[in-house]
Amino acid sequence: MRRGLPWLWLLVMVAACAYLGLRVHAGLNWRTDLMALLPRDEQDIGRQQAEDAVTRALSQRLVLLVGHPDGGLARAAAATLAQRLAASGVAQPDVIVPGPEAIRRLGALYAPFRRGLLSEADRASLRAGDGEALATRALAQVFGFVGLGDANLLQADPFLLLPSFFAGLPVPFARLAPVEGVPMVQADGIAWALVTARVTADPYALDVQDRLIAALDIDRLAGAQPGLRVLRLGAVFFAAAGAAEAIGESSRIGLVSTLGTVLLIVVAYRALAPLWLSLLVIAAGVVAGLVASLLVFGELHVATLLFGVSLIGVAVDYSLQYCTEMFAPPALPGARLARVRMGIALGTATTVIGYLTLLLAPFPGLHQIAVFSAAGLVAAWLTVMLWLPGLDRSRPARHGGRMLAWAAGLLDLWRGPRWMVIGPGLAIAAFGLWHLRAEDDVRRMQSLSGPLMAEQTEIRRLIGGTGDGPFFLVRAPDDEAALQAEEMLGERLAGLRASGGLSGWLSPARFVPSSARQRGDRALVARGLDPLLAAHRDRLGLDGAAVQSDDSGPALTLSAALAAGAPLGLLAIGPGVHVVTLEGLAGRADLAAAAEGIAGIAYVDPAGRFSALLGKYRIRAIGLLVLSAGLMAPLLAWRYGVRGAARVMLPPLLAVVLAPALRALGGAGFSFFDAMALVLVLSIGVDYAIFCAETAGARAPVTMLAVTLAAATALFSFGLLALSNVAAVHSFGATMALGVLLAFLLAPMARR
Amino acid sequence: MRRRHALVGLLVAPRAAWACGRLELGQILRGRFVQTRRLQGFARPLVTEGRFALAPGQGLIWRAEKPFAITTVMSAAGLVQETRGTETLRLPAARLPLLARLYDMLGGALGGDWHALERDFSVLRTGDAAAWQVVLTPRVTDSIAMPFQAITAHGGCFVDAVDLAKPGGDTDRLEFLDQTLAPGPLGAGEEAALAVLAR
Repeated sequence: MRRGLPWLWLLVMVAACAYLGLRVHAGLNWRTDLMALLPRDEQDIGRQQAEDAVTRALSQRLVLLVGHPDGGLARAAAATLAQRLAASGVAQPDVIVPGPEAIRRLGALYAPFRRGLLSEADRASLRAGDGEALATRALAQVFGFVGLGDANLLQADPFLLLPSFFAGLPVPFARLAPVEGVPMVQADGIAWALVTARVTADPYALDVQDRLIAALDIDRLAGAQPGLRVLRLGAVFFAAAGAAEAIGESSRIGLVSTLGTVLLIVVAYRALAPLWLSLLVIAAGVVAGLVASLLVFGELHVATLLFGVSLIGVAVDYSLQYCTEMFAPPALPGARLARVRMGIALGTATTVIGYLTLLLAPFPGLHQIAVFSAAGLVAAWLTVMLWLPGLDRSRPARHGGRMLAWAAGLLDLWRGPRWMVIGPGLAIAAFGLWHLRAEDDVRRMQSLSGPLMAEQTEIRRLIGGTGDGPFFLVRAPDDEAALQAEEMLGERLAGLRASGGLSGWLSPARFVPSSARQRGDRALVARGLDPLLAAHRDRLGLDGAAVQSDDSGPALTLSAALAAGAPLGLLAIGPGVHVVTLEGLAGRADLAAAAEGIAGIAYVDPAGRFSALLGKYRIRAIGLLVLSAGLMAPLLAWRYGVRGAARVMLPPLLAVVLAPALRALGGAGFSFFDAMALVLVLSIGVDYAIFCAETAGARAPVTMLAVTLAAATALFSFGLLALSNVAAVHSFGATMALGVLLAFLLAPMARR
Repeated sequence: MRRRHALVGLLVAPRAAWACGRLELGQILRGRFVQTRRLQGFARPLVTEGRFALAPGQGLIWRAEKPFAITTVMSAAGLVQETRGTETLRLPAARLPLLARLYDMLGGALGGDWHALERDFSVLRTGDAAAWQVVLTPRVTDSIAMPFQAITAHGGCFVDAVDLAKPGGDTDRLEFLDQTLAPGPLGAGEEAALAVLAR
């Protein structure tokens, strides 16, 4: 039976490789959405879904601004890009300038309800009892410069209320004017043509990004036409740039870390066998991790790839433990394995506990990392146990004298009483933790491409607000209640607009007032304008009888307007669920207050919400750390007794406290990602401590040499993560590297 | 808006072909106008009379006096209408960039650029410099953006009259009288009227 196990493991690995091969051949589905890694708001599922719908819709929008001194060329290039977007199959260009047919249809939709549709200014005039002002305006428009209004319109609407309502409607992209059907804006001698589109597939899927960007081929378009500039705005561009950077980084980090590990092994062992064996262990771990993630989640996140790279540093530890035994006689493979079996089994068990604790964190992305790492580590352990002795033909090494002496020196580092270390260690930790500063701002965690940020700023400058960023979410039992809530909000927003807090907002209620407001407006018209009608008609010279108005009929409803194709876009998500988007925000402090006390309206700042969640889960991660230590303790107590377990836990726990303290003294903030790194520092540190606790006598320097090599490879991978441009990854890597270094230096304290 | 821009273009465009010299920067064209609107279902035509002043690079002042005072001023900054001391319409070009384009067209037409009008209309010119006629026919008729069936202008040294025919049978007629071309600057009242735009 035991003889068959290596073959069984071979069968499993061959099957895993075949599965992976098939999946890669079919095209792996890589996800790049950093938000997908973040936890969901568990408090309010309905709100979460509504916010997700808005966030998704916003993330699907993209804006291109095509500039050239010659407006015709800019328009032509914009048309080319719009065609390419449509041809890409993953995006649909918007129609921004409604055609005559659409305008006619909307006119027909609104006309029957005109008595209940007042512009903001007209309503204010009538409320102030100044119906004369509206009559005067209508006369001025009829008699004035190239008079407005034809006979039909004047017969039906002698005070020209409906044109006033239409003129008062908020216009998206108000600064742009259509030229031959293309919205354009002129600035600094350059004519800019606008293209907006909706990504019809997931903008965070790598293949969607690739297809879109390849189809647009902006570089070649701009290269072929001197002076042509294309500005981009949209989550899809940021995600593509971020993914390119993450993949580039992880392959660079992976390459350097692998090369470093290879070099280290070859120099340390002066033989190639440990190298091949270690690479085999790593490969088995990575394959198992990928297959497990794909089986469990069906897809892979780039972040998993990035963090998975760091797994290499840990997976190689077990093969190093085994290989280093070649320096101690008897060096027969079976005997060497027997000496390290308990150490690596305990090490794997505790580390897997550490990684699996990540499954308890409600972060979808961390679940994938947990599954990837746990599966990879178990596979690496099985490979060491089952394959290495059989594959190993290496002879006892004789060159290790100096390295072993050096390792023995490391072991003697902590010869004195433990309190000599614990005391100052805790003092430094206390001082450092006193200076610890929480860092939860999600905007600083993502690395946003600099050129894209500049393009986004320029687009905002040229066309004004783009309606992304914070918004109000309206959730009411029905559309009518939602519209009424938006009207209350609108009055407060008008106040903020007057004081310069924002430049405008879009809400369904501005396009279709609530039935209550329409009835109120009808009453205002009946009271304020009907008494003036006869005199007004006379001044205009209108023939015949006035159109008799019936104020008891139904009001225009949102559902009727939507059915007629009113251009509300993503403002109306579903019955009673609406969105109010904001433009030209100057300060954000007042906005949350504007929604206060209005039932069903919530202010949503996506970035702020994620920051708050990161803060919440930073605290939870520390809980995970305690939990993970608590889960390891019984296992260690079973092996070493309670006092022994405390001895083994001491070095990793000191590392876990000192690493953030030292980082804090260096001025770094403490984010959720630092906290997660500490969970792993604990697992890896416990490994090192176990290896030291499992060894004794002449074998001790050999074990310490193996731990040194393990720590060196771990530093290679995590130290390199600290160089990442993504702040989150940098924090993770830096805390990890510092923690691993401390855990390694303190590990000899675990010896009896 | 579209209607206004077509008309302003027409009002100034033929001057490019003047026998009496072109309207140059720094000059001011002043005169009287009578606007007669005949609307279906109205007992009598709506007649507006008043004075206008056009100063290239500065703006257009359109001051109705009868039946009551309405002042409309227009420049690259936008359009403002005032009646009896209250503002009844303000369209800043920044809010409505179409206006800026309209004003650009006005400037273009002053410089003899028929291109802007020819994009929307087929232009038929007859007669000679002393008595010419221009008929503009929209290239696209069945459109919300094109409220005219035909525009006919005639004149000699100046534009004498413009007739606008609309699809519903309504017509507008603009007659220009007592036109004079004078060197600048604008009078104090005219300056003040245009200054409203900057407010």
